[in-house]
Parts: sequence; C-alpha cells; structure tokens
Amino acid sequence: MGESAIAVDELHKHFGNVRAVDGITFAVAPGTIFGLLGRNGAGKTTTLETCIGLQKPTSGSVRVLGLDPTKRRDFERLRRLVGVQLQATSLPEKAYVREILTLFAAYYGIVPNTQALATRVGLGEKLDRFVGKLSGGEQQRLALALALLHDPPILFLDEPSAGMDAFGRRVLWAEVDRLRVAGKTVVLTTHYIEEAERLCDEICIVQAGKIVARDTPAGLVAAHGGAARIGFVAHGFAPLPQLEGLGVWTQLGERWTLAVASEPGAALGAIVAAANAASVTIEQLDLRRPNLEDAFIAITGESLEDEDATSAA
Amino acid sequence: MIRSLRLLYAQTRADFVWYFWRDGEMIFWSLAFPIFFLFVFSFAFGAGSQHGVSTFLVPGLIGAQVMSSGFWGVGAMLATFRDKKTLRRIYLTPLPAWIFFAGLVLYRMTLLVMQAALLVTVGALVFHVHVTGNPFAIGAILVLGAATFVSLGSVIGAVVRSTESANNIASVLTVPLAFVSDAYFPIDRFPGHVPGLLRLLPSTQFVDALRGVAMYGDPLAHYAMWILTLSLWTIAGTAVTARYFRWV
Repeated sequence: MGESAIAVDELHKHFGNVRAVDGITFAVAPGTIFGLLGRNGAGKTTTLETCIGLQKPTSGSVRVLGLDPTKRRDFERLRRLVGVQLQATSLPEKAYVREILTLFAAYYGIVPNTQALATRVGLGEKLDRFVGKLSGGEQQRLALALALLHDPPILFLDEPSAGMDAFGRRVLWAEVDRLRVAGKTVVLTTHYIEEAERLCDEICIVQAGKIVARDTPAGLVAAHGGAARIGFVAHGFAPLPQLEGLGVWTQLGERWTLAVASEPGAALGAIVAAANAASVTIEQLDLRRPNLEDAFIAITGESLEDEDATSAA
Repeated sequence: MIRSLRLLYAQTRADFVWYFWRDGEMIFWSLAFPIFFLFVFSFAFGAGSQHGVSTFLVPGLIGAQVMSSGFWGVGAMLATFRDKKTLRRIYLTPLPAWIFFAGLVLYRMTLLVMQAALLVTVGALVFHVHVTGNPFAIGAILVLGAATFVSLGSVIGAVVRSTESANNIASVLTVPLAFVSDAYFPIDRFPGHVPGLLRLLPSTQFVDALRGVAMYGDPLAHYAMWILTLSLWTIAGTAVTARYFRWV
C-alpha cells in the first residue's frame, strides 16, 4: 500500500451548532478510486472541500500528498497537483467552451489540445458553443474537463454525475475508468448507488458527519447486504424437512421465498431436485443477490431513493 | 514576468469580451445611457445656455462612471462571482490572485476609457464642450479616482455575501452619491453649510478635482489636499479588502 495519497485524521467541521463533519478518519492509497457515499447533508462535500483547502477544519487534520491544504504554501503547491470538479460550477455564460478551456489551461501555463479534451468529455461538437447555452449536464462535463486539463495525479469530483443524463454518466464513468488505468487517485462523492458500485475500489458510507462503514463494494455487500433470495411459484409445494435447513422460508399465496443461508447455487439445486421428486412444477423462478443498496439500507437504516427530488446541494 | 503579463492580457481580454462585448444590455447601460443622460440634463437644465451645463456634466458623468466602475464593476461583480462559486473555482487554479484582480480592474478601466472618450466626443460635437486641461494631469486624476473607487468598491466585494445585497448596496451608493457629489447637479445650490459638508465626501472631491483640472485648467497642486485624502481612502479600502476578502 505504501504512503497514502490522502490522509484525513479525526476531521471535525462545525458550522455554528451544526456538526457537518463529526470525526472522520480515512486514508486513500495512491491509484485508488475512493467513494464517499451518503445522502445529501451527510458531510461528504464538506469533507471533500476540506481536502482541497476550501474549508478549514474545526479540528483534526488533512494531508494530500503530504501537503497541508490549510497552509498557504502547501495549498499553492497543491493547486497544481489536484484536479477538482465542484458541484454546480458557474462559468461565464458568454464564453465559448473553447475559450474557457484555453484560459484555464493558461492558468496552469499550458496550451491545451481543446479538441481532444472536449471530445474526451463528450463535448467535441460543442467547442464553439456559449457556456450559457450548454445543458446542466454538459456544463458538468465541462467542469470535468477543467479538472482533467493539467493531468493531475489526484482528482476530487464532487457529485460528478449530478444533473447528467445517461450519456453524460457513460462519459463520466468511461473517464473514471481511464483515470484508474492511468493510476490516478480519485476521490468522488455520490449519492448514486450504481455509480459507487460501478466506479469505486473503496467506499466510505457517510452518515451524519461520520463514516459508518468502509470497505470494497463487494466487501460491504458481503458483510451487510444480507442473504440472497430465491423466489418461485409452485402449486402444492411444501418445504420438506431436508429443505428447511437451507435458510428462512416465507410464503405469500403460492409464492415461496427463501432467504438463503449460504451459497444460493447449492440451495437452488436442492429445491429443484425436491420439486422434481415430488413432480411439482416450479414457475417464475428468480434469484436475487444482495447489492450495495441492501448493504446501504442495512448500515444506515435509510434509503438513497428520492434523493434527487428532495435534495438541495 | 512576460508570462504573467501575457496571462494578465488574456484575463483582461476574456473579462472584456465575456462581460461587456458580448452582452448587449451591458453595452447599452454603460455606453448609451451616459450619453442619454448628457442630452436629457443638458436640455432640461440648460435653458438657453447648454454650453455651461454640458461643460459641467461631461466631467460629472465621467466621474459618476468611475464610481460605478468601482462599486458595480468591481465590488458587486466580486460578490456575484463568490455567490455563483466562480471565485472558488478560480482559487483552486494556480492563477495568481493579483492577475485575477488586475484583469477585472483593467477590463473596467478599458471600458471607462471608452465611456470617457464617447462623452468627450459627443460633448464636443453636440454641445461644444472642450477639454482644455493638461492630459497628463487629467489622466493622473482619473487613475487616482479609479483606484479610490475600485478600492472602496472591493470592500463591498469583500464584506457582502450575496449577489442581491451587493447589487443593492452598489446602487444605493452609486446613484444618490452621484447626485450629492457635484456630478449631475451643482451642489453649490444646496443651502448653508451643506456644500462644504458634501465636499468632505471622496466622491465630491474626486469629481470637483476632475472638473477643475479637465475643464478649467487648474494645476494638480491646487487639489493637493484632496489628492491626499483620496489616496488615504484608497489605502483604507485596500486594507479592509485585504483583511476581509474571502474566496469561498
């Protein structure tokens, strides 16, 4: 694992009486795609903004590549080493996409290949469009391009897919995959389960300013997702004694559900064998493995659904 | 150094093009409106002797534009940039802060030169107003006034959090101040001690000094005291801004 790219230690951030971040500790190894997953207001954005020097910790410490973003000189070095996509970056409406890319690149002392950069984020056709004429999702992808243009080793993406349509999300996910291959370290916040599961090597689930779970997506599911479920409809079926030990059975009308205690494959074989022996036909069979959403609900007691409808950044 | 200057040019040009050149409303308010004012006031107050009124108004309107550049163009603009989170995005890049500020100020100064040139030209062609002062002295007073009001305006940008309050404060400061600062209207028509008190305002001192130097050929030395007070306001405004300015 070696030296961490990012180390956050006992971070607290209070706004008046609100404890936005209430004792968060984590370290991110170089080359990791690291996700902070949680509802809006859980403290994800504040944590991320502290890492890049936009917020000062109330207490605790943050190091990014060994640099302390609260120190002036460290922060000035850090600005070249991180790429940041903030939530809702508002850029000048009467600027062409090409001009924004060129000017921001000039801030880093580089002359960009604007066409290649824009194409990378799916804006290849929009270089001569006014920023104000882009859709919300396109503006988000422009903000992503601004995070990428100086090829930094660490990227911080705050709700990168918020407001993006399916195409935008595919572009973003492909880009994160490219960053993974290039060995970059990425910290992203999200309240989209599929995004966290699809993109992240490691996930911290954040709730009320605290980290309540941390693992790989598969690890979280294995530890907290609960049992796989086998469901089917069968007339005249009754779980024989030899099937009872497979897990917990529930019946709703003629539909049976088994919460499987161990590997679902073995249980499925046993059920099919028993049904055949009793000449019972199994219909509408399905197998549902637990996913990250099940784990999230089990850990936090909350769902992430309807977040978009109710949320304010 | 060359790199910094190049970047400064790119920033100034971008600000000018994005916030002025491509914004029809902005072009109207900053160029057509002062001319409209010159015509209306010259005819309204000029009954018979438009020449004298216009000679009063041309430097007054230029002075009012200097104030509005500081309060609106820099002050309220900075608050808007912060509110819209444009400031924090720029803060996260290695752009030196001074280039960011200087770019915004130079853009407004470019616009100011255009506004002044237009007022002087229309004043000369339509109202026979002639600027007789020493161009270097006029330039010096304009630069000092711009520095004063950019510095006072940026206090708004430093202290005020929301776009709306910043705009309200800027308009509350600019319009009434122009009326009591000898810009649109001769304050000597106010009774008793009022004109003397109004001449304690930096805005009045600036407008009067500009008018004296540009239209009546007064030497700069004549306004030494006011040049000193305007410089002190500039230092005070800059100090408050430096102390309270926040990117986030």
